[in-house]
Amino acid sequence: MDLDHDTLVFISKSWGLFYLIAFAVGVLIYTFWPSNKKRFDKAKKGILDKEDRPWT
Amino acid sequence: MRELFHRKLERTALGFVFAIIAAASVGGIVEIAPLFTIDETVEDVPDMRLYTPLELAGRNIYVREGCYACHSQMIRTLRDDVERYGPYSLAVESKYDRPMLWGSKRTGPDLARIGGKYSDFWHVAHLTNPREVVPESNMPAYPWLAQNELDIEDLDLHLMAQQSLGVPYTDEMVENAGRDAYGQASPDTDFASGVTERYGERTQVSTFDGVTTQVTEMDALVAYLQVLGRLTDAAYQGTAAEELPPDASN
Amino acid sequence: MIGQLTAGERQLSVVILIALVIIGIAMAAAGRFDPLGVHGVVVLLCSGVLLARLLSSLFEPEPHPERLSKYYDDPIKAGIVFTMIWAVFGMFVGVWAAAQLAWPSLNFDTSWTSFGRIRPAHTTGVIFGFGGNALIATSFHVVQRTSRARLADQFSPWFVLFGYNLFCLVAVTGYLMGVTQSKEYAEAEWYADLWLVIVWVTYFVLYIRTLARRKEPHIYVANWYYMAFILVVAMLHIVNNIAIPISLSHAKSYTVWPGVQDAMVQWWYGHNAVAFFLTAGFLAMLYYYLPKRADRPIFSYRLSILSFWGITFFYMWVGSHHLHYTALPHWVQNLGMTFSVMLLVPSWASAGNALLTLNGAWHKVRDDATLRFMFIAAIFYGLSTFEGSFLAIRPVNSLSHYTDWTVGHVHAGVLGWVAMITFGALYTLVPSLWRRERMYSSMLVEAHFWLALAGTLIYIFAMWNSGIIQGLMWRTYTEQNTLTYSFIDSLVAMYPYYIARTFGGLLFLIGAIIGSYNIWMTARGAPVSRAEQDLPVVDGPVSPATPAE
Repeated sequence: MDLDHDTLVFISKSWGLFYLIAFAVGVLIYTFWPSNKKRFDKAKKGILDKEDRPWT
Repeated sequence: MRELFHRKLERTALGFVFAIIAAASVGGIVEIAPLFTIDETVEDVPDMRLYTPLELAGRNIYVREGCYACHSQMIRTLRDDVERYGPYSLAVESKYDRPMLWGSKRTGPDLARIGGKYSDFWHVAHLTNPREVVPESNMPAYPWLAQNELDIEDLDLHLMAQQSLGVPYTDEMVENAGRDAYGQASPDTDFASGVTERYGERTQVSTFDGVTTQVTEMDALVAYLQVLGRLTDAAYQGTAAEELPPDASN
Repeated sequence: MIGQLTAGERQLSVVILIALVIIGIAMAAAGRFDPLGVHGVVVLLCSGVLLARLLSSLFEPEPHPERLSKYYDDPIKAGIVFTMIWAVFGMFVGVWAAAQLAWPSLNFDTSWTSFGRIRPAHTTGVIFGFGGNALIATSFHVVQRTSRARLADQFSPWFVLFGYNLFCLVAVTGYLMGVTQSKEYAEAEWYADLWLVIVWVTYFVLYIRTLARRKEPHIYVANWYYMAFILVVAMLHIVNNIAIPISLSHAKSYTVWPGVQDAMVQWWYGHNAVAFFLTAGFLAMLYYYLPKRADRPIFSYRLSILSFWGITFFYMWVGSHHLHYTALPHWVQNLGMTFSVMLLVPSWASAGNALLTLNGAWHKVRDDATLRFMFIAAIFYGLSTFEGSFLAIRPVNSLSHYTDWTVGHVHAGVLGWVAMITFGALYTLVPSLWRRERMYSSMLVEAHFWLALAGTLIYIFAMWNSGIIQGLMWRTYTEQNTLTYSFIDSLVAMYPYYIARTFGGLLFLIGAIIGSYNIWMTARGAPVSRAEQDLPVVDGPVSPATPAE
């Protein structure tokens, strides 16, 4: 590996930013994807269930 | 497409694991990866010297007693820091520090440039009972340091480990580690001259705790404290008002 | 507890313990009078005792297969006991260390009780002992309930629990003997670190196997936080602790990271230990036990997802704010500062989500001290994340850094947030786990709450004051442009606050002791007849249990 310091700093500063934005967009899409709503609502209420046994 | 991807991601807990790693690793990569090559940008200073075996042993006592919990070794680029403690710390000055002891808290003062500011005698008295010298101090007393004989048998192992990590200790230094540690604390013996030969004329050879019959942990710790900030004079050069490093003759 | 283990699991345990006994003997023999030898004896004793216990019931009959239709709760119970033992130990050492700063002779001039040695014993005892055990115990509880599946096997949870506590024990006894790397919150030496890697990998595998067995298609968000905690802590721990021992028979090692790299790696670790140990894991508790106790679903599930990724992503960048104005490159400092400020968004999203969950149920917060613990925890989480972002701004940091303000900030986080959410979670979990209708005494929960709150407030106000005074004194100039105060002047000004801080810590410790007593008495009391009841019945519609398939 003969990456010098300036190259590494450049990669960090440019790709780090793209990575950040791409990831944030991905997460937003997932969170607000309409068909995920049902599943989220189910998860939200599911834990309040009083049953205390594993399902088989 | 995306939805399918996410559903899959969620179905397999393992996919989720990779997503977490991907998200979490980038910050570390961006900030830390460039630091692996930071030595390219750290200015090389020709007068930078190594810790002698005795000073290294003293440093390990500093580590053992957890001194970093109350003392920093990092003078920041702030006016009051510089005026209180001396020229701000340079990256190169901790080049041989494993671990670095920059610290995070000053319950006591910064020690980055403590070397040479007080006499050996003062340090011994202060470490034995801080309140005899500074009545308001809340520092613990370390009376046992002067009683514990320093373990110099293993010092070659310490130097060897450092050597394998790239610290430029020579084989000769490793071989003589124990003798040099003894010699640095025993100015009137034949072993003393070897220390200055191997580590430079500016190495302080002294009885440190004033007792010549044995090398104690007190000797080692004081030797370390006295070298702090004096491995190189780089920090004193090029400052606005030329400053002089502390006098080495006490 | 051994009665539930199958013959195969018992044999596996015996094999592992015999291996540990051999390792202990080898360490003791190789280390001799080095602290490594003492730790060999510690390993030998711990594994020997467990081995003797196991051998005495090695040939008992196989457990009843009916156990598989229940959740596996025995390790959780043991985990709670460990949690409270470490809480009392860690907080006691903390009060002692605080007292030494006010009255330095309280170390009795012996080496192992001096401040520099007991301070890591305090931090490790509280963060890893108390916090870590609480995280492991609650994660075993939450992953089973939200997955509707039993833990994947019965051996690994015990291995994780005992292995982890062995690590804590070796670490803490090591500091008292002077075995330390002097890397904050990662002081344990190489052999303890190696052992923790093994334990942690087992933990990860167990968690992922249990998730893989889940009957719910969606992984509940609390598990995301637990997963992030397990994974990222593994990453941090390994990278920060790479070191070369001077020999296999010595405890001493040298880190591979020199100087400025070590500083960056250390604070990348240090701050993310705060993020993924003291935040992510405890947010997992918040997202499960708060809705459970309030009997209301979380305000916004989507918000919890967004803040999860926000925290996972942003936190990793902020470690360098510990190194403002140092020899670290300037752009790294600025990056750390920027992301620290951005971090406020996901942090407040979590805190707000918790508080909005309670909105409409304030009468429950008023009447139920357990819920109040979690409510106060969310408030302190919001406060200390705000303070954290604020302190990361360079000019602010120039005043606060190296002073008690940092200590106050950390304790607002650990006392106000971490400990409060843990106690809230434990008071929710304990009655349900031991099948009791409620805690042994709700009066004592109430007393614990007020002691904890008063202790926290006294502590952080004392440290805010002392920190700001000290920071200002260091930078005060006379008219002649010279520094007004010597260092010792600033120390003398600290003494009243150090005494107040000790008192605040003492109140918190007393609260923890009361809590331990209450939990112990609850566990020893008689179980309720309605054995299936998980929580007190409340009015309002309850979604019927609909098993899959």
